[in-house]
Amino acid sequence: QLSVLLSLQLTSEDMIAAFSQAVDWAGCTVRAFAWHPHTNKFAVALLDDSIRVYNSNSATVPSLKHRLQRNVAAMAWKPLCASILAVACQSCVLVWHLDPTSLSTRPSSGCAQVLSCPGHSPVTSLAWAPSGERLLSASPVDTAMLVWDVSTETCVQLQWFGGGGVTYLAWSPDGSKVLAATPSAVFRVWEAQMWTCERWPTIRGRCQTGCWSPDGSRLLFTVLGESVIYSLSFSEYRGEMQGQVGGSKTASIVADLSETTFETLYGEERIGGEVHSMVWDPTGERLAVIIRGEACPLFPPHSGFVRGERGARPQLISFHPCFPQGALLTVCWSSGKISHIPFFFVGALEPHASPRRSPVPVLGSVREQPLFSEL
Amino acid sequence: MSMVIIIISIFNIEFYAVVPSIPCSRLALIGKIIHPQQVIHSFVHAIMGMLVTWCATVMTKGRFQFLAVSCTPSEGLEDAVPQMCLNEYHLFFLLSGAFLGYSYSLFYLINNMNYLPFPIIQQYKYLRFRRSLPLLIKHSCVESLHFVRNFCVTYYFFGYIPKVWICTTMDLHTDGKLHPLDTLSGLLDLSLFYHTWLSGVFLLMTWYIAWLLFKIYATESHHFPIQPTFAQETDQCLPKILNSNPPLLIKFLALQDLMLLSQYSPVRRQEVFSLSQPGGHPHNWTAISRECLSLLSDLTQRLIAQQEAAAAANGRAKPPVGELKVPPQTPGAAGIEDMSFQSQSSPALNYKMGVVDIKSPWHGPVQSPHVMRRGPKLWTSVSDQQMNGSHHESFPVLSAARTGTEAVQPRFIYTWLQNKQEQIKTFLSKRALIMYFFSKHPEASIQAVFSDAQMHIWALEGLSHLVAASFTEDQFGVVQTTLPAILNTLLTLQEVVDRHFKLPHVSSKPPRISGSLVDTSYKTLRFALRASLKTALYRITTVFGEHLNAVQVSTEHKKRLQQFLEYKE
Repeated sequence: QLSVLLSLQLTSEDMIAAFSQAVDWAGCTVRAFAWHPHTNKFAVALLDDSIRVYNSNSATVPSLKHRLQRNVAAMAWKPLCASILAVACQSCVLVWHLDPTSLSTRPSSGCAQVLSCPGHSPVTSLAWAPSGERLLSASPVDTAMLVWDVSTETCVQLQWFGGGGVTYLAWSPDGSKVLAATPSAVFRVWEAQMWTCERWPTIRGRCQTGCWSPDGSRLLFTVLGESVIYSLSFSEYRGEMQGQVGGSKTASIVADLSETTFETLYGEERIGGEVHSMVWDPTGERLAVIIRGEACPLFPPHSGFVRGERGARPQLISFHPCFPQGALLTVCWSSGKISHIPFFFVGALEPHASPRRSPVPVLGSVREQPLFSEL
Repeated sequence: MSMVIIIISIFNIEFYAVVPSIPCSRLALIGKIIHPQQVIHSFVHAIMGMLVTWCATVMTKGRFQFLAVSCTPSEGLEDAVPQMCLNEYHLFFLLSGAFLGYSYSLFYLINNMNYLPFPIIQQYKYLRFRRSLPLLIKHSCVESLHFVRNFCVTYYFFGYIPKVWICTTMDLHTDGKLHPLDTLSGLLDLSLFYHTWLSGVFLLMTWYIAWLLFKIYATESHHFPIQPTFAQETDQCLPKILNSNPPLLIKFLALQDLMLLSQYSPVRRQEVFSLSQPGGHPHNWTAISRECLSLLSDLTQRLIAQQEAAAAANGRAKPPVGELKVPPQTPGAAGIEDMSFQSQSSPALNYKMGVVDIKSPWHGPVQSPHVMRRGPKLWTSVSDQQMNGSHHESFPVLSAARTGTEAVQPRFIYTWLQNKQEQIKTFLSKRALIMYFFSKHPEASIQAVFSDAQMHIWALEGLSHLVAASFTEDQFGVVQTTLPAILNTLLTLQEVVDRHFKLPHVSSKPPRISGSLVDTSYKTLRFALRASLKTALYRITTVFGEHLNAVQVSTEHKKRLQQFLEYKE
């Protein structure tokens, strides 16, 4: 019933603006951003419905345009591939097959594959499986999450009733679990082997954003209207527990980002508030958060803030998936600038193996606030 | 009723196929329809249909129940002896059941409904069934409508035949008072239409549910043990099954299990990488990798043969497009000589492609598999040495033909026969009707080559996941020794598949019909194969990274691996 209400009251642009990870999707120049998982290449979706692909090894900037590419809400590069980009559009999902060695600045629309399903529009979130075979797409008006096999253009609808559509998807980096947030006060965590799910009701508000630790054992999420970060831990994936998500009984608060006053060189600053989006770097050691207009990276045990030019507010944040010397945070500002901020550090654990237990950032005191899960 | 269901299920089991049989030409399609197996299938389904509708009429009661009812008395007749009249409604029902059964069988055949598609994601059986149920119900209703409409048309034209036959055999009279049904006014009876449609829906729904349940149970993933824990399980363990020649469904299930264990099960992966006691031989890994590699090489050979056939056919009819940039010469003169080398054209063509490397655009990675494969054989064959002298010609087939004149004499009768055969073929090809039946539908022939590609897709995924996992999990280094062979096979297959996709029609996607109960995923298996091949290669190169430079592969393959490492493929 919620999805019906939503579709009556909001236009699709309003819906995308409400559920997108960008702070001001409707008005800002940059609407979506995606790093390529293996190379120094990223794609930026702009206000004029075009997508630009920037590559550090090449001077040409291909610009992707298609008549169905309108109101781009999210983008995702296919893992284990040179250049296949999935774009969540108003009425469908476009999958661009770009030639990695081509020097053309306007790839033809013939390179794009259209994946559409009736009733599944607008598409607001996409997630590729880390093994590169399946693509998940979600729409706030469709109660079913679609699992696409892109090469044969077939999809399977994973329907679950209760909660309305699906607004945000996040696949854990080890490929075992998927977070699916809904417009109501419930989110689901699916396990990706037999596709069963656990249902997590929140106290108030919907799940605004979430991110996984690199080994898939911990999920950090925030709730709309609250300024705390919750953590949910999952038992280590062994492969023998088919059909069980393995989540713990309650979520705990790990960070409280309520408004506080800080003394800085320039006088008092009030920082803090609701979290809009959150990203966790691939080494598991840095967490970056956009709080109601300010970007703030947290790392144990201190926290720091990133500030742009005067009047510029951060829109989107993303970590580079394979920065060898630590972490690289990319911030897209409301002025249209994109800045890359490196954090040089030596990881606490070996660089190649995934960490067994990810370090959890703690700020201030930790309050236990149990949330009950229904299995 | 239950007997009907049981018989339908038996037929499902008898006729299933994991590899769809795709008729390549219209004649093949007709052949499929009149095949005795299929005739029996249709006949039994028609009988079943009739039985079901008979049950439905018994349940409905009312005017449909009996075949013979007493006639309505007419006032005019003096003697009031009641006579038995044919209840045409009942007959209509029974015949509609038979027609429905026959149409279902025909539909089953043409849409390859005996093909068992394996699901793209694993789900519990109940969830899969629940997911498909709404579509099944909708589909049954719509299809029943179509079938009943077709039946009404058929009955309008041919309804009098069974009527007359039943009347004469059972000594019934047609009731003069009631409208005969094979007229427009008779057929426009809404209640009749509704009842027939409803019984059709019932019939189709029960049959489709039986088919759906069979599909779900047959394609359920089965857990094959890798190390037999008991002596009687030795025949059931995965390496043994893969290496023997089991029925195709078992092989499919084994490969699907391999794909699943390689991704999700660290414990079973350890069993794969383990060494035997005593002796320390990696039997499990050797068996599994050998079988997967032989499957992939098999596919490579098949595709190469297909490409050669296409190139030879094009060489005879018209110049080949694309690859050869040198000006093509008319093949007319080479007609006769070309025939004699049909059997030999294969090594000849490959030799050409291998040797004409300096001058032609075949130079480059394209010709490497042929050089590698055919190289050693060239120096032993006499006819090849004759061709050696004239390899500076432009068109490979023509030059093979031209130099072959020296060897023609002993084969005169053979060539004469071939010539006559060719003339008959050209004569027949001018007759449009013959071509209508014999012409190979290009899309269908392409699908036929890739019809069992699901096996290869799983072999690729299983193998690449195991190799990727072995980077951290292989304690004894069993995978490292087979790494060159694996990389060679994968890279060769990738070249051949890329070249195959340059042939006409191969890269065009068939139109997608969404929301249909019938699964047509076999039509696009080649795209899935190409995508999973690339992903498999990237998986290996991403995990191993620069360490791959230490693996022994040919220089050509080293160059391509470098492309993969730089994400430029």
